[in-house]
Amino acid sequence: MSANPSSNPGGKRRRIRKMLVDRGIDVVLLVFSLLMLLPLVFLVSNGFKTPQEMLAWPPTIIPANPTIDNFAAVLQGTPLLRWIFNSIAFAVLSTLAILATSSIAGYILAKFRYRSLNVIFALVLATAIVPFEVYMIPLYFQAQSLGILNSLWGLLLGYLVMSFGIFLIRQNVIHSIPDELLEAARIDGAGELWIFFRIVLPLLRGALGALGVLAFFQAWTAFAWPMIVATNREAYTIEVGLALFQTGFTVDLGRLSAASALVLIPSISLFVILRRNFVQGVASTGLKE
Amino acid sequence: MNYQLKPSAVRLALLGSAMSIAALAMPAVNAQEIRVWSGYPEMAPFYEHVAEGMKADFPNLSVKVEAIALREHEKRLALGLTSGEAAEVIELGTSTATRYLENELFNEAPAEIAAFVQDPTNFNDFFRDSASYGGTVYGLPLFRGQSALYYNTEMFTAAGLTEPPATMADYTKYAEALTQRDANGVPTVSGWSMRLSGGGQGIAEKFWINMFQYGESLVEQNADGKWKADFANENGRAALKQYLENVHTLKTVTIEMPADAEAFEREQTAMFIRESWVIGDIAAKAPDLKYATTTLPRGSIVAPVSLWISGEGAEAEAAWAFAQAANEPDNLLWLLDNVGWLPNRAGLDYSAILAAKPALAAFVEYPDTYEFFSLPNIGPVEEILTRTAARLTEAFANAALATDDAGIDAVLVATQDEINGLLQREGLLAE
Amino acid sequence: MLRRKRWLFAILAILPTLAIFAWLRMYPIFETLRLSLHKWDILSKNKPFIGLANFQELLKDRLFHEALLNTTIIAFGVLIITIPTAMVLAALIHYRTRSRVSGFYETAIFLPHVVSLVPAAMAWKWIFDARLGPLNAVLTFFGFEPQAWLFDPTLSIISVIVLCSWQALGYAVLIYLVGFKSLPVSLFEAAKLDGASGPQSFWFLSMPMLKPITLYVSVVTLVSGFNVYAQAFVLASDAQGAPGRQVRVLVLDMLENSFRNYRVGYAASEAVVLLLIVLVLTLIQFSLLRERGRA
Repeated sequence: MSANPSSNPGGKRRRIRKMLVDRGIDVVLLVFSLLMLLPLVFLVSNGFKTPQEMLAWPPTIIPANPTIDNFAAVLQGTPLLRWIFNSIAFAVLSTLAILATSSIAGYILAKFRYRSLNVIFALVLATAIVPFEVYMIPLYFQAQSLGILNSLWGLLLGYLVMSFGIFLIRQNVIHSIPDELLEAARIDGAGELWIFFRIVLPLLRGALGALGVLAFFQAWTAFAWPMIVATNREAYTIEVGLALFQTGFTVDLGRLSAASALVLIPSISLFVILRRNFVQGVASTGLKE
Repeated sequence: MNYQLKPSAVRLALLGSAMSIAALAMPAVNAQEIRVWSGYPEMAPFYEHVAEGMKADFPNLSVKVEAIALREHEKRLALGLTSGEAAEVIELGTSTATRYLENELFNEAPAEIAAFVQDPTNFNDFFRDSASYGGTVYGLPLFRGQSALYYNTEMFTAAGLTEPPATMADYTKYAEALTQRDANGVPTVSGWSMRLSGGGQGIAEKFWINMFQYGESLVEQNADGKWKADFANENGRAALKQYLENVHTLKTVTIEMPADAEAFEREQTAMFIRESWVIGDIAAKAPDLKYATTTLPRGSIVAPVSLWISGEGAEAEAAWAFAQAANEPDNLLWLLDNVGWLPNRAGLDYSAILAAKPALAAFVEYPDTYEFFSLPNIGPVEEILTRTAARLTEAFANAALATDDAGIDAVLVATQDEINGLLQREGLLAE
Repeated sequence: MLRRKRWLFAILAILPTLAIFAWLRMYPIFETLRLSLHKWDILSKNKPFIGLANFQELLKDRLFHEALLNTTIIAFGVLIITIPTAMVLAALIHYRTRSRVSGFYETAIFLPHVVSLVPAAMAWKWIFDARLGPLNAVLTFFGFEPQAWLFDPTLSIISVIVLCSWQALGYAVLIYLVGFKSLPVSLFEAAKLDGASGPQSFWFLSMPMLKPITLYVSVVTLVSGFNVYAQAFVLASDAQGAPGRQVRVLVLDMLENSFRNYRVGYAASEAVVLLLIVLVLTLIQFSLLRERGRA
C-alpha cells in the first residue's frame, strides 16, 4: 500500500517517502495493538491495587502501592487452582477426543468414496451450522440421565466431536495424501489400520496440530455449557468460577481482577508457545468456502 | 418353661449386645457425608457452625456446605432435584419451593419433626404454613428476609434531621435534604438509594416493598385462592412516581450511582431499604459506620426460608437431624448475632443481642399495626417478577414519565395486564 | 473381496464418530424441535403436546422481541465495526509483513480472541464503570460529559458491541491476512506500474478479490453475534453495588425461560427461531457465493 508513484525518478526521495509511510503505518499499528492490549493491562494492574486505590478517581493505570493481598486472598479463599485444573483437564480431553474422531472420520470421508459416506458427510456438515446453544438444553437432559452432571464427563459430552475438524482433516487428506501412496502400501500387503497409523497420521501432523489448538481453546473458553452442567463449586471450570465469583453480597473488584489476571497466565502462555500452530489453525477455518 | 426361656433370653441378650456393638461400630465404618445447598454465601459460616455443634452426637458425620449466589442456587435446584444430584439439605424460600412440593421432590417430614413444626410454641401459623404443603409438613422453617430502613446517622445530623422518616412523603423530602452534590449539582452521595438496575427480579421486589407502603400489592389472593394484579390506581401511581421524581425531577439518585449495601458501607448513600443481613455485612466490612435502622411506614415483606430434605435412608435421617440442629435456640441466636438473618422460631430471647446491636430492633420490635406481605407461592412467581422488572427498568429510564401521570398509569396498566395474562395462562387468575 | 473388506473397514472406522454425532448432535437437535411443540416445566412427568402455541406466544412476548432486537443489533453492530477495521488492519499488517514487529501486531490484535471470555469482560466492566472507569476519566479529561455506559439503554448495547468486537477482531484480521497472502503478487505489480497508489489498489483490487473472504468472515461474525451471551451476562452480573442494565439477548432469554421460569418447551421454541435465523444467514452466504461463481 505504498503511496509512491512509480514515475517518480528521484530514488532517494522515493526511499525517504517510503520510509515515512512505513513509519506512519507502524505508528498506527502500534497504537492499535496497544489499545487492544490495554484492557488486559488494566486487569492485571487492578489485581495489584489496594481496595482504596480501586475506588480512587481518576483511575490509575500503574498501582501506586502494589500489593499481592488480592492474589493471596483468592488463592486461599476460592478453589481457583481447582477450577484451572478442571478447565485444563476438560480442554485436553476434549482436544484428544476431537483429534481422534476428526482424523479417522476425515480420512475415511476423503479416501473411501462410497455414496453412503457422502450422505454422512453432508449430515455432519449440516450440524456444523447449528449453534450449540440451540440444542444445549436437550443435551443437558441427556447428561442428566447418564448421571454425569457436575463431572468432567458431563462437560466433555458437549465437546467430543467437531464438524469443522472432520471437514478440515478431509480437505487436508485430499490435498496432501495421494491415492498412489495408499495403493502402493496396500499392494505391499499393509492393513488398513497400519496405513492409517503409519502413513496417514504422520502426514497429517501439521493439520492435527492446528486443529488441536483450535479445539483446546474452544473448550477453554466455553461458557454456556459448563455454566449449566457444573452446578457444584468443585466442578466449575475457570470461566464459570470467575463469573460466579461472589463473596457474600458484595463483589470485591480487586480480588476478582487478581483471579482473572491469574487465569490469563495459562491462556496467554499457551497461546505464545503455540502461536504458529494457532495461526495456522484459525487460518484454516477461513478456507472453508 | 423356665429353662426353655433361658436360652432365648441369652440369645436375646447376645443379640442385643451384638446390635449395640454394631450400632457403635457402624458409624466408625460408614463415615457419613451430607451436603447443604444454600443460596446465600454469607450463610455458609452458620451451617458450618451447626455442623461443628453436631460433632459430639454425630462424630462421623461430615457436612459439606455449598453456598452460592441465589440465582445460581435456584438453577442448580431445578436441574439437580430431578436428577437426584441435589444435596440432602436444601435451603429454599417458600415461594420457589412450591414448585418442588407440587412435584413431590422434597421428603415429607418424619412425625417428630412435623410435631415440632406444628407446635405453636415453636412456630406461629405463618411459618408453619411456610414449611407445609396441603397441610402436611415438609420442611423446617429457618430464617426470613424482612426489610427495614437503614440510615446514616452522621449524614442525618449534618442535614439537620433528627428523626427517621415516618411517611413515604418524608422519604422524598429526606432524600432531597440528604443528597450531596458536586459544584455542578451532580449528586455524589445519593439521598435514598433505590434499586434501579440489575438483572432480574430484585427490581420488582423492591418496587413491591415501596408500593406496599402506599397500601398496594403487586398480586393479591382472593377468597377462592386465585390471584390477581390490580395496582393501576393512585397508590400504584404514587409508588412509581416517587421513583421517577427522585431519579429525574429531584435527582437525589441516579441510575449509575453505586447502590445498595455496598454504597451504604462506603458512605455513598444516606439511606436504603434492605433486610437484616446488612447489619452483619456492615459489622464485617465497615465496622466504624454510624448508622441506625427504623421500621417502614406501613409494613414489610417477609420472605420465609426453610430447610428441605431430599434423598433417602441414613443420609436423609442425618439431614433431618442437621435441620433440627440448625433450629436449636443457641444456633439461631448465633445466626442472628453473626450473620444477621432473622430466625423464624418463636420464643427466642434476643435481649443480649439487641443490647449489643440496636440496629436489629427495627426487625424484631415493630408496632402492633405493622403489616407483612410475602411473595405468592405460585409457579410463575419468578416470571411475574422478571417481567415486571423489565417494565420497571424501562419506566425508570424514561425522564418524560416523571411529570406525566397518564403515562405512569399506562405503564401500570400494561404491567398489570401482563401479570394477569401470566396468571391466566397458568389457570391462576381470579375473576 | 478386497473391496468388500475395505468397505467394511471404512464403515467400522467411521461408526464411533457417527454414533457420537447421532447421539450428541442429531438427537438433541431433533429433541429441540420436538420440545418446542410441548409444554414442559422440567419437574413434572407429563409433557403435553400443545402444537404451535409456544410460537404463537413468542409472537407477542415483548421480552423475546427485545431479546431478538438487541441480539440483531449486536450481531450487525459487531459486523459493521469488525469487517472494515479488520480489512484495513490486515492490509496494513500485510504491507509490513517483513517488519520485525509484525509478529507483535498479530499477537496483540489476536490475543483478545484467545483469553478467557469472562476475565476479559470483567476488565471491560471496569473500563465502562461510570464512577471509576478509565473511559469516563478520558472523556472528562477532554471536557466531555461522563456517560453511564452500562446503564443507559443505548449505551449498554453499544458497550456489549464494543466488547464483542474487541474479541472478534483478531479472528477476522487473521482470516484476512490469509486472504491477502493468497492474492496474486503480479497483479499488484502491474497496477503499480500503471500508477495506482496503495489505497487505490486496496480499494479497486484487494477488496473485490477478497469478497469471498469477506462473505465468510461476515457470516461467521454474524452467527457468533447471534449467540452472544457471556458478554451480556458478565457486564450486568449482579454485583449489587454496581449492577448494569441487563441487555437481554436471545441465549440469555432462552436460559432464563428454561431454568428460571421452568418453561423448557417455550425456550426450545426460541432455540428454533435462533436456528432459523442462522440457517437463513448461511443460505444467503451460499447463494451469494454461487452467484459470484457464475458471474
